[in-house]
Order: sequence, then C-alpha cells, then structure tokens
Amino acid sequence: MSSTVSHLGHYQAKVARSRATSEPAWIRWSLIAIALAFLSLFLFIPLAAVFTEALRKGFETYIAALIEPDALSAIKLTVIAAAISVPLNLVFGVAAAWATAKFDFKGKSVLITLIDLPFAVSPVIAGLIYVLIFGLQGWFGEWLIDNDYKVIFAIPGIVLATVFVTFPFVARELIPLMQAQGKEEEEAALVLGASGWQILWRVTLPNIKWGLLYGVILTNARAMGEFGAVSVVSGHIRGMTNTMPLHVEILYNEYNYAAAFAVASLLAFLALVTLALKTFIEWQSARSARTTEQLSEE
Amino acid sequence: MSIEIRNIHKRFGKFNALNNINLDVPTGELVALLGPSGCGKTTLLRIIAGLEAADEGSILFHGSDATSRDVREREVGFVFQHYALFRHMTVFENVAFGLRVRPRKTRPSEAEIHRRVHALLELVQLDWLAGRYPPQLSGGQRQRIALARALAVEPKVLLLDEPFGALDAKVRKDLRRWLRRLHDELHITSVFVTHDQEEALEVADRIVVMNQGNIEQIGSPQDVYDQPASPFVYKFLGNVNQFHGRVHAGKAHIDTLALDIDDHHETDNTPAHAFVRPHDIEVLRERGTQPAFSAVVSYINAIGPLVRVELQRQDNQSIVEAELTRERFRELALQQGEAVYIQPRNVRVFLDVPN
Repeated sequence: MSSTVSHLGHYQAKVARSRATSEPAWIRWSLIAIALAFLSLFLFIPLAAVFTEALRKGFETYIAALIEPDALSAIKLTVIAAAISVPLNLVFGVAAAWATAKFDFKGKSVLITLIDLPFAVSPVIAGLIYVLIFGLQGWFGEWLIDNDYKVIFAIPGIVLATVFVTFPFVARELIPLMQAQGKEEEEAALVLGASGWQILWRVTLPNIKWGLLYGVILTNARAMGEFGAVSVVSGHIRGMTNTMPLHVEILYNEYNYAAAFAVASLLAFLALVTLALKTFIEWQSARSARTTEQLSEE
Repeated sequence: MSIEIRNIHKRFGKFNALNNINLDVPTGELVALLGPSGCGKTTLLRIIAGLEAADEGSILFHGSDATSRDVREREVGFVFQHYALFRHMTVFENVAFGLRVRPRKTRPSEAEIHRRVHALLELVQLDWLAGRYPPQLSGGQRQRIALARALAVEPKVLLLDEPFGALDAKVRKDLRRWLRRLHDELHITSVFVTHDQEEALEVADRIVVMNQGNIEQIGSPQDVYDQPASPFVYKFLGNVNQFHGRVHAGKAHIDTLALDIDDHHETDNTPAHAFVRPHDIEVLRERGTQPAFSAVVSYINAIGPLVRVELQRQDNQSIVEAELTRERFRELALQQGEAVYIQPRNVRVFLDVPN
C-alpha cells in the first residue's frame, strides 16, 4: 500500500513539474502558427514577390534592366555613398566608443545622446537640414555658388545625408561591448610601455573585432538602402544623383514594374547577404564568448 | 629602487580617498598595504604606478621626483586583481608584449625575445602553457602569467593589486608562499595590496595598515600584530575581545575588575577601551589570585589546532571568546553550560578620544 502511495506521489510530482514549465500542446502550436503566419505575411511573401516580379518578363529583361546606363549609374552612386560613409562612421564610431567607454569626462552623457540623435530624427528632416544649410537659400548657399561647389542635388549632399542617418550604428554597437570589457587590459598595456596607437591596434581592436564587423555591416545595409534623407537632397537627376532606392521609385512611378523590381531585387539580395553575414558573426562571437566562459569555469 | 611617498592627497568628488599619505619603501622590500575595502589602498597603488594622479603630494623613485613621469617611463610592473591578460593573445605573446611594443632601437631581437619569455615562463613554472590562450588557464595559472608578463619589462618596482583575491583558499596559500620565495630570489622592491590580514602577516616584510584614507600603522608583521597602534589595527588584525571601562592610575577598571596595565600611570579616571586577544583569555576552574570574571561556557568549537570557546560573562551576559590549545582544553575537560573563571592577560588599553 505504502509503495503505491509513493508511486502515485512520484507520478504527480512529475506531472506538476512538466505543467509548471510548459504550456499545453494546443497553446504551443497555435503560438508557433501565429508567429509563422505573421512572418510569411510580412517577410517571406514580399521577399518572394520581389524576385517573382523581377523575373516575370524573363531573365533577359531582368539583366537588361540592371545593365541599362541609368541603373548602372544608380548602383555606382549607391556604392560610392556607402564606400565613403561606412569608413567615416567606422572611424568615428570607434573613436566615440573608445572615448565614452574607456574615459570619464564632463558632458559624456550629452555626447552619447548626440550620437543617438539620428535614430530620433526622421530621415526626411535630416535631408531637409542639409538643404537648409547648403541649399540655394541656405546659410552657406551663396558662398557655395560663388565658389562653384555643389552640395545639394549632387553627390556630396547624398554622402552627407547617408553619413548622418548611419551615424550611430557602429558606436551604438561598440559602446556596451567596450564598457563590459572594462579598461584593465588597456591599463596593463600602458604599464608595459605601449603607446596609445599600439594599445588601440594590439589590444582594443582585436577585442572588439566581431562587434565592429557587426556594426559595419549594419551601417552598410542602411547606407545602401537609405531613401528618405537621400531623396530630399538628391534632386532625382537620372544618371547623375539617383541612388538605387531612388531609381526603383522612379521606375515604379513610370509603370516600368519589371525594371523596378529587378533593381529592387538587387537591394533585397543585399539584405539577404547582410542577414547571412550578421548570423555568421553572431554565431562566431557567441562561440568565442562561450569557449571563454566554459574554459574559465574549469 | 626605493619609493618615497610624500603628502599624497586624493579626492574623488566629495570622497576623501587618501589623506596626507607618507610612506617610504626601501629598495628590495616587500610591503603590504592592508586595509578594508574602500580604505584607499588600491588608489595609493595606482598613484604609485601612475595610473591615477594625486591631487597633491609627490612620489619619488630612488630619490628623484616621478610625480609627473608618464606611466610608461616609470619602469613599474603592475599585476591586476583580475589579471587583465590579453585574451586574444597566447601566453607567450602576453609575456612578450612589453618587449614587442618597445621602439625599434631598444627592442630585443626575435631570438632574444624568445629566450627571455621562455626564461620567465620557466621562472613561474608554466613553460608548457606557452601556446595556450588565457581563457584556457586556471586562476592560479593566469595570476602567474600576469606576474611573468609584468616582470618581462624588467621593472624596478613591482606593484600587485589584490594578487590572490580572486583565487580559492588552497591555491591562494600556495601562491603566496611561492610569491615570497620569488621575491627572496629577485629582490625587487614590491608593494602589494590586500584586505586579508593573514596574507599580509605571512608574506610581507612590512605592513602598512590603512583605514579611511589614512595610514594607521607601519611596521613589521610582528609589530603590528603584537603592538597595534590603534583600536582599528587591533580589531583588523585577528580576533579580539573588547571591553569598555575606565583607566585610573595604571589600572584598567572593567566593571568589577581592576587589571594591571603597563602604561597610563598618570591617567586619571578616563573612559577607555581594553582589548584582549582570544588566546590571552585564561580559562580556570577555580578562582586564582588574579582578578577574573565568572562565566558560563556557551559554545565550544574543537575543530583545528586551537579550541575556540565562547563564554558568557555572568555579570552582564556579554560574550567573551577564548582560544585554548588542545592540551589545555583536555586538561580542563570543559562542557557546555559549565561555570568557569576567565582571566584576561596582556590587556591593551586605548583611552577614548573625546570628540
């Protein structure tokens, strides 16, 4: 009798435990179904649509839309804007993160808030700011015209707008990482006689390489995909100041759907590559963090 | 190289971290900065290293002013509490770092770097770990690598911040004996920070006891343990029983007892605290000729070489702690709840400072 009771007790304990840690099957499956439906509706179907629409009129039309001079010029401009803004924000981001994470100074929180500003400001406003400063009626407009410099409706304006909207990406990625790592290693290097540059190259950068790469990839994705801010300062001159997103818009407004989706598919492809790289980097940095932890526990 | 610390002040906002610190560390000595956390000992160590700047005062290395000298030019080796090994470099590269970052003119050749790094790794008995990465090492191994790395630049002064603080008890004991032997071999002027009095008493030539940004006492381990200069030092170094009473003409009056003391012969009826170490509490079955409290045995802990006995005084119910040798304990055959007499020896008295 007593053994039956104890068995029963054991069984009940087991049931209680599984109930305590998980929901009934029907709840679990409906949650998964809702999540999948949501993902399909908002991500998978649009992504598939981009590629289907792009290839609807055949592969030749698709290629033709991409190698057409205006499209090539848009691709070129997008790459230029990214090629300038990514290194700029890389340098700035590392410098800002280094300063805020490793040193204490007055106005540090103000600086961090300023770095975040582009996240808070609508990209269209960002573009407008540059029009107001460098445009024809802007603060420096007359001086720029007198000296024959073109900023607005030209490449410099596009680069400026891109730099502005991608400003926080690298710094935001690095600041928490560097704060968590502390400054003991840098101090150790300093006592051992290393100069500031040596510390940066040999100690700080190797420790943040994965976070840095992650930030760069996000910056690049945003730089190539930016629409609002660039749209304001570009002037939409075909073959001159059109980036890829702007080119897509023009083609679409001209009812040239096949070409619009062809160029859009390039941007979508870029997004997929970015995602793959991002996943790889997350996996890499998690792996190195995990081995570090495991081994240090031994 | 000797270190002289002159009138060092340091404030963090409103907090007084260091208050007019003066200290001489002669060449070749191993000195412990001992104190509770927040007493300013680490700040002082970092000021010596040049990682922190003092608000006032100066630091002299071998007689010459180093106050404004850059960290890199101070020729100090610093061992951090959490080792601060470069996690992305092998053990070999960690130790070689200080040599590799030298300007080309003074940088040793690759062969020389190899020779010196391996010599240092042998010194810390970890040559077989040269190819490993810091996360793959145990705490004790990391600490020894950190020491080898600090020694690689041939520092004139070695500074260690809580060098054994993050290690477990057994490793800590082994490693501090090993550090003592290493110091006896190398004779490098060394300062280490610790909050563990046992560690300071065992390893250091001299102990600097600090409290709230002030130096309470400087002396050999024997001195600070046997002749504490203040109630703080008394309480910080080992267990102690504290009694409150009055001092009058060379006698300490603690409640009903009048105990003979060595000094304060001129003192007239002044409030004071008396301190007695647990091993100076004599436990007796019969009342002797000396003044004694009557007490009841309230707790016995007989683990280890000494038997710890807690006694409750019968006059005011306060607890007195005594330490007896195993022999004495057997002789007395004490049982919990028994009535005994306790007789304080070597009473040390500090007069209450009027506020």
